Amino acid sequence: MSGGWAAKELTEKGLKTLVLERGRMVRHPDYPTATKDPWELPYGNRITQETRHRKPIQSRTGYPTPANQHWFVDDLDNPYVEEQPFDWLRGYHVGGRSLMWARQSYRFGPLDFEANAKEGVAIPWPVTYDEIAPWYDKAEIFAGISGSVEGLHQLPDGKFLPPHDLNCVEIDFKKRLDDKLGRKLIIGRCANLTAPLTHNESPQRGTCQARNMCIRGCPFGGYFSSVSSTLPSAERTGNMTLLPNQIVYELIYDNDKGKATGVRVLDAETGKQTDYFAKIVFLCASALGSAYIMLNSTSSRFPNGFGNDSGELGHNIMDHNKPGNSNASVEGYLDVAYTGRRPNGFYSPRYRNVGKDKRDYLRGFGYQGRAARSNYNRFNDTPLMGAELKKAALEPGPWTIGMTAFGEILPYHDNYARLDRDKKDKHGLPLLVVNAVVRENERKMEQDMKNDAAEMLEAAGFKNVTVKSDSYNMGNSIHESGTARMGNDPKKSVLNRFNQVHACKNVYVTDGSFMPSFGCQNPSLTYMAFTARAADHAVSELKKGNL
Amino acid sequence: MKPSEMQQRRAVLRRVAWMLGGAVSAPAALAILQGCSAKEPVPGAALQSKFFKGKQADIVSAIADVLIPKTDTSGALDAGVPAFIDSIMADVYPKDAQDRFSAGINEFETAAGEGGKGFLDQDVTQRAATVQKAIAAALEGEHKDKPFILVARELTLLGFYTSEVGITENMEYVPVPTVYHGCVPLSEMKKHVYWE
Repeated sequence: MSGGWAAKELTEKGLKTLVLERGRMVRHPDYPTATKDPWELPYGNRITQETRHRKPIQSRTGYPTPANQHWFVDDLDNPYVEEQPFDWLRGYHVGGRSLMWARQSYRFGPLDFEANAKEGVAIPWPVTYDEIAPWYDKAEIFAGISGSVEGLHQLPDGKFLPPHDLNCVEIDFKKRLDDKLGRKLIIGRCANLTAPLTHNESPQRGTCQARNMCIRGCPFGGYFSSVSSTLPSAERTGNMTLLPNQIVYELIYDNDKGKATGVRVLDAETGKQTDYFAKIVFLCASALGSAYIMLNSTSSRFPNGFGNDSGELGHNIMDHNKPGNSNASVEGYLDVAYTGRRPNGFYSPRYRNVGKDKRDYLRGFGYQGRAARSNYNRFNDTPLMGAELKKAALEPGPWTIGMTAFGEILPYHDNYARLDRDKKDKHGLPLLVVNAVVRENERKMEQDMKNDAAEMLEAAGFKNVTVKSDSYNMGNSIHESGTARMGNDPKKSVLNRFNQVHACKNVYVTDGSFMPSFGCQNPSLTYMAFTARAADHAVSELKKGNL
Repeated sequence: MKPSEMQQRRAVLRRVAWMLGGAVSAPAALAILQGCSAKEPVPGAALQSKFFKGKQADIVSAIADVLIPKTDTSGALDAGVPAFIDSIMADVYPKDAQDRFSAGINEFETAAGEGGKGFLDQDVTQRAATVQKAIAAALEGEHKDKPFILVARELTLLGFYTSEVGITENMEYVPVPTVYHGCVPLSEMKKHVYWE
C-alpha cells in the first residue's frame, strides 16, 4: 500500500527509484483466479487441510480459500514467535496486502489527531488534521474513494466518487438509528470506482463491475491496489526499477556520513546477498516488517536497532479490537432485493466519547456491517427436501443483518515486537517475536461494543438479536501499527513529523509503523496520505541538499 | 469446449478489461465468459473415490439424489455432488470429522436396513422416506457433533448450489453485473439473483 505510493511519488518527482519486494512478481491484470466462476473453484471455495497445514496462522481468518490462498504467506516458511497469540496476516508479493485489503477508506479527524495530547496518552501527534487534509485529498482523488458527504466532525468528508447504494433494509436501519438513538449509519467509504476516476493518470483502471471478487485482484482495475494503480504510474515515468524476490533485511549505516547508504538484501530464491545503495531509503514493509529491518540493523551508532535512541522501536503495537459480531433476522422486505454484488457495506461512525458523550474508557469504536437476503444455507438444518426444497430455494431467503465493531486500541509500550537472534528462519535470519494484548481500556470498551450493537439492532425492530463473543488475537484486524511512532521529541519517538528517522534523516518509514495512536477507522488511506507527504518532503530536502 | 480454449477466452477477457478500462462493454464481457460454460461429465456413483470406500459412494449418491432430485431441472447427481462430497471430505475435513462421516454412512445404512430392505435396495420413494426420517431424528435434541445426515445434507446443498447447473438453472447468474442497485422490487428481477 505505502510502498506503491512512495514509488509513484518519488519517480514522478524525477528520482531514479529502486523498488525492492521480498515476494514474487504480480502484474496488472494477471490475477490467476479473478475471472473464475464459482463452479471453477474446488471444494465450494472452502479452506483445505493442506492450506491449514501450510498456513495455520493465515487460516485463523476465513481468507485463504482456494480463490485467495495464493495471496497469503506460507507460515511454515515464514515463521515468527507468538509470546502472546498474534495473527500476522501477510502477502509476500508485489502489491502486498493492497491486493487483498477490504478497501474501506476513512480519514482520521481532528478528534483522533488531538486525542493523545488532550488525554495525556503516550505522546502527542506531531501533525494536525489541517496539515494532512490536503494529502488526504490527493490520496482520495488518485485512488478513487467512493462515499457520501456527511459533515461529521469525527469522520471528515473527502473528495468522493458517488456513494454505493444502501439496500432497502439498511436505508430503514439508518432512519431508525437516527430517530431513536441519534446514531449515524452511512454507506462504507471504499476504494472502488463507482464512477470513472476524475483524473487521467490511470488509463488501465476501469469502473467497479460489482462482482465483489476484489480480493482475487480485479482485471478491470475496479479498486485501488499498488498493482493496479500506483506501480503502473511509477513504471510510466521510466524512473522505476522493480525487483521482486529481494528480502531487505538490514539498513546499511555509514558512521562517518551519519547517513544510511543503502540496504542489504537476500535473494529469496538463490540466497545471494546484494547491497543496494541510494541517497534516501523509504521503508514501506508494514509495521512489523519495517520494525524487523530496523531492529536487525545494528551498528556502533545504533546498538539497539536503527534509529532506536528512544527505545520505542518495535513497541506500541496497535490494531483494532474486534471482539465479536452481532446479528439479527429482519422481518418483511420480502418483495425487494438488490442486483449486482456490492463490494462494500454500511458504516456506523464513532459516537462514544464524541461531543457530550463521556464513558469510563477513552476513545471509541465504529461498526461495519451489511444487510442481505439469505441463501440456500438457510435450508441446512431443516427437513425440507426433494422437489419442495428446489422450489423453495428458487426464492431469495429472508433478510438478515450483521455488524462488527472495530475498537480503538491505545498504544502501550508493553505491546512490543523484538528479535530472537537464537532462532532463525530458512534464510538464516533471526525471528521476530511479538507480544501484544488488549488491556483494561479495551476491555471496558468491549462492553459498549456489544451492548450498543444489541441496542441498535433492537431499536430498529429486528428479531433474534444475537451478540457473539469471539476471542480476538491482536493482529486479527490486519491493522498492526505503531512500531516506530512519530513525535516531536526524539527521546520518545523514532520518527519525526515527516516520517523521517530522527537520528538518520535520509530514512523515511511510511507504513503503519509511524502511528502514535490509531483511531477506530481503517488506516490505509492515512498511510497513503502520509507517504505522499513524506515523499514530497524527501524530494524537497534532497534538492536543498539536506539529506 | 476444451480447457485450453476456455483459458484462451479468459485471457481474451483479461485483455479486453485491460485495454478498455472503464469503457469495457459488460455484455461483451458476459458473452466471452458465457462462451466458456463447458458441461462437465456427470460422475454419479462411478466416481474415482478419494474418500469413500465400498458402497459408501453409492449410499451418499442415493442420499444426495433424494435430497435434490432431477425434476424439470438438474439434480444433485447431474451436478456431480457425490464427487464433490468425496473430494471435500478428503481434502477439507480433518481426520476426526472424516471418521465421523465415514462411520455415519455405515450407521445410516444399518439403521435404514433394519426390519426391511437395505437402503440401496429401496426404491426412490422408500429412500426419500428413510432420509426424511433420519433428518427428523437428527433435528431433534442436542448433539455434540453435527449428525451425519445433516452434514451430508449441508454438503449436498453446498455442492449443488456452487455447481454450474445448480447456479445457472436456479439463479440469475451474472458474472459481470457492472453496477449494484441497492433496492429493487423483486417484480423487476428475473428470478433469484446470484449474490454470493
